[in-house]
Amino acid sequence: MTALETKEICFSYDARRVIDNVSLAVESKEFLGIIGPNGAGKSTLLRLMCGILEPESGHVALFGQSLAGQTPRLIAQQVAFVPQETHFALNFTVEDIVLMGRYPYQRPFGRDKAEDIEATDQAINAAGIVDLRKRPVNSLSSGERQRVVLARAIAQTPRILLLDEPTSHLDLLHQYRIMELLSNLNARGLTVAVVHHDLNLASLYCRRLVVMHHGKVHCQGTPGQLLTEKILNEVYGTEVRIIRHPDKDVPQVFLHTEGQHEDRQ
Amino acid sequence: MTKTALIIIIFLAAIAAGILVGPAPLESQILQLRIWRVVLGVFAGGVLAFCGCLLQGLFGNPLVEPYTLGSASGAALGASVGILIFGAINPALAFLGSLGVGFFVYVVARIEGGILRDRLILAGVVMSFLCSSLVMIIMVMGGRELYEVLYLLMGYLGTIIDATNRTMIIALIVVSLVLAALLYRFHRELDIISQGTETAASLGINIQRFSLILFFSSALLVGMTVSIVGAIGFVGLIVPHVSRLLFGPKHRFNLAASFILGATFLLFADMLSRTITVYELPVGVVTSLVGVPFFIYLYRK
Repeated sequence: MTALETKEICFSYDARRVIDNVSLAVESKEFLGIIGPNGAGKSTLLRLMCGILEPESGHVALFGQSLAGQTPRLIAQQVAFVPQETHFALNFTVEDIVLMGRYPYQRPFGRDKAEDIEATDQAINAAGIVDLRKRPVNSLSSGERQRVVLARAIAQTPRILLLDEPTSHLDLLHQYRIMELLSNLNARGLTVAVVHHDLNLASLYCRRLVVMHHGKVHCQGTPGQLLTEKILNEVYGTEVRIIRHPDKDVPQVFLHTEGQHEDRQ
Repeated sequence: MTKTALIIIIFLAAIAAGILVGPAPLESQILQLRIWRVVLGVFAGGVLAFCGCLLQGLFGNPLVEPYTLGSASGAALGASVGILIFGAINPALAFLGSLGVGFFVYVVARIEGGILRDRLILAGVVMSFLCSSLVMIIMVMGGRELYEVLYLLMGYLGTIIDATNRTMIIALIVVSLVLAALLYRFHRELDIISQGTETAASLGINIQRFSLILFFSSALLVGMTVSIVGAIGFVGLIVPHVSRLLFGPKHRFNLAASFILGATFLLFADMLSRTITVYELPVGVVTSLVGVPFFIYLYRK
């Protein structure tokens, strides 16, 4: 089944077209990675897929239903979005932030219901931030904050989770924790689509990749099919070397450096 | 819980002090005047602080207040025009000024498909300056009425309330309080929007509609307030900060606490304005004079 589908969508910032006639299907329960160089339109595509932005032409369908005909609240009950970085203008506690994920289910003037509290507790457990729950969010490291935002998205109990570079600026341990968490959620049936700059992480965790280039889908397939010297050279304009990951049979990408011979002297 | 009880006790004490404290003996006529003053103080202080809390939350900016968005200055301009033409404050004109400037700010910030929130703030600040200049011109032209405009600009709770304006003022107060109560329902949205508009949109909030509702509602509230008591400054800016220091960031508490703290603060300021000198000072002078040191103390603590 197709979870989320874009049909011939276009989008421009001012006069600059950043998404050019993109048709893309995210299958239910898959772990999709969206890669491509800076300015390729990856983040914009993600925002179009969850209704934060509206396409100029074409449309986006969520389980067969067009986004245009649905209220933001209804969309938010099915799709959660994790931005690259969140600035917390007010210093809420971690559990307050996670509870805000329940907003799409709450009525104005209504109290927090038992199911809201339960979903919040579960999300805090799943994200492994139980010991942080009473902490003010601005006292946390950026890796911890990213897990809080992820917990908020989990509390939203979505069917699809969209993430914009969730591991950028994070150290190795936090990268690993975030990706393992996403992998677990995916194994339990959540559809995950991640925009990635880190090709090696994308290769390790995503089962299918889409390569964006100049606002179009350049190609799509498994990491093994796409992460080749030829395709990456075409898209990124850089020479790379590909080797296999020692544990898992997936490609890993390395830069080809000009200065290597000088170093050996 | 104890904090809540404490601010309510202080609030009640401020009401009692507002009625009982003053140089004149307590006769029935004086009493009546003071009760009206207290009513206006609670209303104006509460509404201005409430709006400040609302707008700071909406824009995620601690420096935003009713004046920043031009509506208070617009109301002051409208009221000054009223003084020039009719020789007295005219609530309808103040009101018109507030909404007119609000609408102009909105038009400046409007782009295809919505509004630019940052431009809304910038346009508001610019329009405030324009309104201030126009008020200055009116003051120069007015001559004899200069004194009245000055009080209008700094705020004054001693407006004489009699049979000619009583019904209208009561109506304005009731409408304001009902509107504020309705806006209180947005406390969750205000909490969420502090994490950015994208996050808010992804959680199902229609940012454009929400921003416009809050912007025009607060312009309306401020217009109604300024039309009765003049442009009292400082309360809308500072009280929400005090409230956050006391009760944390949740708007469920802050909107309500801002109202009560704003009312309390303005009542005490008014009491001082009536008693510290033989003249009656404009209450806006006292709010800043007393408020600034208190605020610095609170933040340094």
